[in-house]
Amino acid sequence: MVLGIQILGSLFGIFMIYYTFLHHKRRELTTKEYSFWLALWILFIIVAVFPQILDPIVKSLSLVRTMDFFIILGFMFLIGSLFYTYTIVRKNQNKLEEIVRKIAIERRK
Amino acid sequence: MKMNQQMLLLISPLINLNMKKGNIWVIIPAYNEEKLIGKVIRKTKRYIDNIIVVDDGSRDRTYDVAVRNRINSLKHIVNLGKGAAIKTGCEFAMKNGAEAIILLDADAQHDPKEIPNFLKSLKDVDIVFGYRKPSKQMPLILRYGNWFINKATNLLYNLSLRDTQCGYRAFTRKAYKKIKWEASDYSLESEIIANVGKKRLKYKEIPIQTIYSDKYKGTTILDGVKIVLNMVWWKLTRH
Repeated sequence: MVLGIQILGSLFGIFMIYYTFLHHKRRELTTKEYSFWLALWILFIIVAVFPQILDPIVKSLSLVRTMDFFIILGFMFLIGSLFYTYTIVRKNQNKLEEIVRKIAIERRK
Repeated sequence: MKMNQQMLLLISPLINLNMKKGNIWVIIPAYNEEKLIGKVIRKTKRYIDNIIVVDDGSRDRTYDVAVRNRINSLKHIVNLGKGAAIKTGCEFAMKNGAEAIILLDADAQHDPKEIPNFLKSLKDVDIVFGYRKPSKQMPLILRYGNWFINKATNLLYNLSLRDTQCGYRAFTRKAYKKIKWEASDYSLESEIIANVGKKRLKYKEIPIQTIYSDKYKGTTILDGVKIVLNMVWWKLTRH
């Protein structure tokens, strides 16, 4: 029997495939990036429809439900993304400061 | 005491002349200060020739006023914060061979007449901090906020400073290389102190008079919390 959460997960995956495709068509994603994200969303749909394929991993981690595995994975991904975003913001901040400073000194009156 | 003041008045033109010869720079970071910046520049000119105003992306005519006063005027095309503005000024001064740098606020809070005292004290140390004498003029929130930041700073860095948030400071070229900060906002004042503590630089404090022209400008409560958190972070992460 297919659960509601599985349908929701699949719909989300399909929507993300469409969204990724749209960005690719707008030339905001390279073919390599597009392929990576497409593969990821397809994998997401497969896991949503057939969660039992994750059973060996879930059991080896001593988790009771596949859902718990997803939640843990989600948190890990969020914390990782947060750190990644922080480093990007910091890098951009430094670059912006350098550019603004360079312009200020060059245009001195 | 009166005798000392009279003597200082008599010799002050000589001190000024000497200072104007040296490669000493005053940096004034400014943000929307068109009303007061002109006055600050004119008063500073009596003591130092090399003045840099760094307009930190003001929306008013701050930059035009600075240019009209024929000093080095730099403009950030976007607002970056006090720390970034001062760093721009310092980098410019360093490129021009500055031997010493004095930081001054653009809102007329700091009286340029103290500049000779700063330079005199700088002869024996790496950095001179101004400290505001306790006064009832100081907004209450600032008074307690500063007290808290001072306690935290001194405890963390084993220093004994009376006013860690006062922006009136002077330092040598050598010291600048050691205290160079990363903060682009108001945290710069604390970051300088953190670096002074970590690098064991020689410092001195001198009392200054402060005029509070706008009680809504400057460090907010949130800035204060951020400053203390940053101090802890720097303590843990820097060598």
